[in-house]
Amino acid sequence: MKMTDTIRRAGRSLSQAKARTLLTSLAIAVGAFTLTLALAAGEGSRQYADKLISSNVDPRALFIVKDKTIFGEGAEANTGLKEYEQNATNSQGGPAIKLLTEEDIQKLIARDDLEDVRPTYQLSSEYLSLTGLDKKYTANLSVYNPDIQSEAAVGSVPALGQDLGNNEILIPESFAQTLNISAQELVGKQLTLTFAKPSKAPTTEEINRIIATEGVAGLSRLGQGETRDVIFTIRGLTKQSQTSLTSNTAIQVSNAQAKVLSDYTTQGTDNYQKYLGVNAKAAEGKSPEDVKAALSSAGFAAQTAKDLQNLLFTIVNILQGIVAGFGILALIASVFGIINTQYISVLERTQQIGLMKALGMRGKDVARLFRYEAAWIGFLGGVLGAGTAWIAGTLLNPWITKQLDLGDGNSLLIFQIIPVVFLIISLMIIAVVAGYFPARKAARLDPIEALRTE
Amino acid sequence: MIQIQNITKTYGKKQNVFTALDDVSIDIPDGASVAIIGKSGSGKSTLMHAVSGLDRPEKGQVIIGDKDILRLKPKEVDKFRSQKMSFIFQSFFVEANENCFDNVSLPLEIAEVPTGKRRQMVLDALAAVELTDKAKSKARNLSGGQKQRLAVARAIVNKPEILFADEPTGNLDSTTGEVIEDLLFHYNKENGVTLIIVTHDPDLAAKCDIQVNVKDGRIESVIHSNKKGAA
Repeated sequence: MKMTDTIRRAGRSLSQAKARTLLTSLAIAVGAFTLTLALAAGEGSRQYADKLISSNVDPRALFIVKDKTIFGEGAEANTGLKEYEQNATNSQGGPAIKLLTEEDIQKLIARDDLEDVRPTYQLSSEYLSLTGLDKKYTANLSVYNPDIQSEAAVGSVPALGQDLGNNEILIPESFAQTLNISAQELVGKQLTLTFAKPSKAPTTEEINRIIATEGVAGLSRLGQGETRDVIFTIRGLTKQSQTSLTSNTAIQVSNAQAKVLSDYTTQGTDNYQKYLGVNAKAAEGKSPEDVKAALSSAGFAAQTAKDLQNLLFTIVNILQGIVAGFGILALIASVFGIINTQYISVLERTQQIGLMKALGMRGKDVARLFRYEAAWIGFLGGVLGAGTAWIAGTLLNPWITKQLDLGDGNSLLIFQIIPVVFLIISLMIIAVVAGYFPARKAARLDPIEALRTE
Repeated sequence: MIQIQNITKTYGKKQNVFTALDDVSIDIPDGASVAIIGKSGSGKSTLMHAVSGLDRPEKGQVIIGDKDILRLKPKEVDKFRSQKMSFIFQSFFVEANENCFDNVSLPLEIAEVPTGKRRQMVLDALAAVELTDKAKSKARNLSGGQKQRLAVARAIVNKPEILFADEPTGNLDSTTGEVIEDLLFHYNKENGVTLIIVTHDPDLAAKCDIQVNVKDGRIESVIHSNKKGAA
């Protein structure tokens, strides 16, 4: 029997048992539905992550540290026990982390494969105040990262790769609400940050001298330490965007200003001119991967924009795998459904099979007829499941985007025709494999037995 | 010419052995109509199965043309059946859910007749049994007589050389049964097709050129009717 005739006969046999075919297909459809959604969600998340990174991060950007355990690399990252180092801090409560010293920074600046080397300054201000307001406020303070594009709600932000001016400052748009001043009004306003120099424990000699000259009041002034006010102009208010990677609730200052302020607030402490990491860019024409390797041999550890992307992709892939796992379980269950249905079909059509064999149909053609029927069931289930997922996903996408605050134009579920076609073909193959034993039973049927009517 | 030589077919093993055919020999000339008559269990159906290559007797030869079909490979026997033989059964075995056209088309599909030729062959066969107007009807909506006519159409569509009919009128009343008989004999005479009818109906057997009486796996008697001389 020719293939086209076999396919048509198989299709007709199925359409004659509509309810049974449909129910068996539905079992596969459940698996196909889940797998299609998993594929779509995976693709959507990857595209979202990709968009997030490519629109926010300079592909040449590198984050360099002294201690590779920060990135979870190296043997020590897993054992929890590390050799003691003098230039290390354990401020986070865990094992001490090796810090970059000013010497390291100078080494990095001297390298010709790096440019725009900016240590991560630790900044903290005592309080901030605005001209014309009585109240004092506190807020997070961070260093502006020129490699990550900010979005301005009001005012302006520097273009990608450019830093803020030394007396400029960016504040989050949410401040306008707390301050009860319109965002437009805040732009251009003067904001004063007050920093405190860490107080040293005074020596007995100093105490005696102070008491002698200023009395007890002088002693309390000594305890309070020294403070310094820095006046900034608000350049803009940063937007709280879902596709922005910058911290949304911190005041941002320029790098040069940050160094001055950081040095001031850490002067005399263990953390003076020691940095957790360095933001830098691979020099023009150098691949970030090569620079990363070179840094690694120089005793530093670095992460590229691509590493960040891979990290996000790994998370997406794991989540996608979990969802796909459920789909595969559903498929395994449906395989038994196909086997059962096809066995029943063989039993029901014993005489038909007998007749076909009496008319000279080859056993392998009979088997093929049943295998094609199974393939049809797989195809139908795949189309039903994938189609339903596609339609439901497309309809739900705007709602999901809104619920998850993905931002306009972003979709969690992105359906692509090629993976879905592959999925349907795989389902047909799975169905054919499931139909193997029933088909073999049909092929081996003895026509004389099958046609016995007594 | 079909030469059946010394065929023996047994079922079961050792003590339970049952001999369905015991050293049966018979020659059937081309274009003859042959009735194989016998009671249930006499071995008449087994004889038909052996001649058609559906069954394989342990001993003997069935020579059709110049080939011993019992020595052919299964693939070749299947091909032989699909091209040169046809069957009609007591219970029709038409596919109730298929329409008449597709029922008749089945042997052509199995014999891999090109699609272009099929349509006319099917329509000719349906015309021969006067079912042209039912071509698109589902077989389940036909009466018993119509179903058997459909089975006859299916049997003659690929222009076989040998037509086997296993109790073709067994499930029909005498009037419709006669219509089927007339169709079969007419086709037998017109086209020179060898017609082998398995039956226990003496009236039907009497219409055949040769009557083979089978009892307990042996041929009891062979009667050549006077309508046509023995070969």
